[in-house]
Amino acid sequence: MKDDEVNKPAEQTAEATVPLTEGVYGKLLKENGIASTPLPESIGIETLEVQASAVPAAMKFLREQAKLNFLVAVSGVDSPDTFDSVYHLWSFSKLDELVVKVRVPKSSLPADKLPEVPSLSNYWQTADWHERETYDLIGIRYIGHRYLRRILNPWDWEGHPLRRDYKQPVDALNDKHPVSMR
Amino acid sequence: MSTSTTAVPEELKDTVTLSNLDHVIEFLSRFLDPVANLARSNSVWPLTFGTSCCAIEMMHVGMSKFDISRFGSEVFRATPRQADLIITAGTITRKMAPALITLYEQLPEPKYVIAMGACTVTGGMFNDSYSVVQGVDRIIPVDVYLPGCPPRPDGILDALLKLQQKIRTETYRDRRKKAYKQTAVLYVDYDTGRPVDDLVAEVKSETETVLAESVGNANPTQ
Repeated sequence: MKDDEVNKPAEQTAEATVPLTEGVYGKLLKENGIASTPLPESIGIETLEVQASAVPAAMKFLREQAKLNFLVAVSGVDSPDTFDSVYHLWSFSKLDELVVKVRVPKSSLPADKLPEVPSLSNYWQTADWHERETYDLIGIRYIGHRYLRRILNPWDWEGHPLRRDYKQPVDALNDKHPVSMR
Repeated sequence: MSTSTTAVPEELKDTVTLSNLDHVIEFLSRFLDPVANLARSNSVWPLTFGTSCCAIEMMHVGMSKFDISRFGSEVFRATPRQADLIITAGTITRKMAPALITLYEQLPEPKYVIAMGACTVTGGMFNDSYSVVQGVDRIIPVDVYLPGCPPRPDGILDALLKLQQKIRTETYRDRRKKAYKQTAVLYVDYDTGRPVDDLVAEVKSETETVLAESVGNANPTQ
């Protein structure tokens, strides 16, 4: 697996040149008709990118056929040109993990519209609160979530704090103290 | 206790009214204060209020190694109605701030606050945060500031001893001046997010101006 990372910048991330250990789950998904692209980003953990529309089918396959039955976390990333929804999966029976990313390019969104990704909360109950946290902090709307509302910030908070362009509102509660050194 | 400034009616002048009792108590407090303050300072009962990591240190100080009950805090009361000290152990976020204010207002006088840990003293490591209140003294009055992240249990005991010293040296009159109108619950309008008292006051002043104008229109002056 180490020489895969060394070879990665030299060759393109095409499935034909990816060695077997890198593409196990990618191959399994491809056999079942779900297209996925391998990504080189995790520390030795296989990372795949799937399209947003393929998420329910891919997760169902990964949980049932590939035995990745533990959803560790659902998180979000505000990359420079995409919003990512990241799913970490773990398999208890095979002791193996997988990272699945769904990237929604920012250019495909009109202004002030949130990226939309199908929700896994009806399939995995973990995803319920994780998706609420991602909605609260990054602002990815999960379609099919039973009640998508803010979980960490107050219910009437405006904005999504962990975005790159978030400007925090400064009022009497969190402004700079007169003798502060910041 | 009433601090009324209305005149006492003739027929009641020979009875003892509440305002007279006030003066008597204030006079007696010169002698009773040292005794009462000593008694009060040696039995300060805190409220169980721990939001984050400092709460662990507060639990330590309640356990047998650094025993806080040997300094008088025999029990940590779970209800604010029976406590007289809040040790704000933990970060106070903007979501938690109304709850803390409600708890503080539900404590009966005389009440004290120890701001424990860097987060409650000045916002601590969350100095630039969008959601952390930069110091709990922005929302409630604080008596003793205890820095540390988290402060050792010995530090909490030191702060408690300083608070006890402060209690022993205060007077009834100063304490009553500081006491403000207790509102256990602040009614806030759901749609605008403003206190209902403010809205009521606004409407009242508006009606007064409208009435004054209409009276002015009805009786036009030359």
